[in-house]
Amino acid sequence: DQSGIMVKKFKRFESYKREQQFPSRVKDLAIVMDQKNSTIVLPIMGRPVPFHIQTIKNASKSDEGDFSYLRINFLSPGQGVGRKDDQPFEDVSAHFVRSLTFRSHDGERFQDISNQIANMKKDAVKREQEKKEMED
Amino acid sequence: MESFDGIYLDLSQEPGKCRFAENGFGWKPSAGETYTLDAGNIAGAQWSRAAKGYEVKILHRDSSVIQLDGFAQEDFDRLSKIFKNWYNTNLDHKEHALRGWNWGKGEFGKAELAFNVQNRPAFEIPYSEILNTNLAGKNEVAVEFIMPTTGETGTKENLGGARGKGKKTGAGKDQLVEMRFYIPGLASVTKDEPGSEEEGEA
Repeated sequence: DQSGIMVKKFKRFESYKREQQFPSRVKDLAIVMDQKNSTIVLPIMGRPVPFHIQTIKNASKSDEGDFSYLRINFLSPGQGVGRKDDQPFEDVSAHFVRSLTFRSHDGERFQDISNQIANMKKDAVKREQEKKEMED
Repeated sequence: MESFDGIYLDLSQEPGKCRFAENGFGWKPSAGETYTLDAGNIAGAQWSRAAKGYEVKILHRDSSVIQLDGFAQEDFDRLSKIFKNWYNTNLDHKEHALRGWNWGKGEFGKAELAFNVQNRPAFEIPYSEILNTNLAGKNEVAVEFIMPTTGETGTKENLGGARGKGKKTGAGKDQLVEMRFYIPGLASVTKDEPGSEEEGEA
C-alpha cells in the first residue's frame, strides 16, 4: 500500500470490515445507532451508509410544521479559523460530506438520536484523550 | 425461468416475486400489477449489499436505475449466470466502503453521483432524486432532494409502493432532505498563497 503510514494513522476510524457487521435493523431504512462500533448508520437512497463518530462534529434537532429535522454536521476543512485542530485531515484535497439533514414525523426519536450522538461523541473524545495520555 | 421471492423493487413497502426470463424480467407484488423490463433495456447491472439484503441494481438504457433489494448472498452465482447468458451483461460485484469516513471523491456517472471512499462507493445519488443544487457558501455545495407530498405512498399504489424516479427519499421514516459537500478549489485561491483562504473568510 503506497499510503501505508496514513492508513495506519487512520485505522481507528474504521466502522466495519465486513458487510455482515451491519446491525440487522438497517433493513428498516431508518437511522441506526451502533454503539458497539461507535458508528451511526444513515439510510441514503436505500443503502445503509456508516459514518464513524470521529467524523461527526455535532447534531441538532429542530421542528418545522408537521416534521422534525435532524441535521448531522461532519468535520471538514475550513470550518472557522483558529479552531483547535482536534481532527487531522488525511487529505484536504478530498471532497467531504459536510452535513446531512433528515426529516421525520417522530420528533422524540430524533431528539433521542441527537442526544445519543452527543454522548457517543463525548465518549469518543474521552477515549482519545486517555489514549493520548497513555502515549505521553 | 428463474424466480426469487421477497424482493423489493425500488424501495417498495411490499416485497414481491422477481422472475427472470430470456426476454426480460418481471416483479410482482402479492396484490397488484406486475412491473416488467425488456432485456433490451438492460445496459448494465451491479451487485452489492443494500438494506434488506443484497441488491441487483440495473442500469436502464434511458440512464435511470432500477433497484431490486432482498437477495441472499448466495444468489450471486445464479444471478450472475442469468445476466451473462440472457442479457449479455456482467453482474459487477460492487463492494461498498464500510470505513465510515466522510471524505472521498464525488464522481459523476451516467445515472448517479457516486461518493467514493478509497475507490469504493460509500453511497450513490440518482440524478432523478435531486430537486436542486446550489453553492451554499465558499467551497460548499448543497444538494436538495425531491420530497414526497403528504399522504403519498410511492410511485404507484399497485406496484406495492415502489418508488421510481423522484420518489426514493420518501421510502423510509427518516427521509433525507439535504446533503452538503465541501469541495476544495471552488474559490479562486491559488496554491502559492497560503493564508489567502483565511483572509477570504474574514
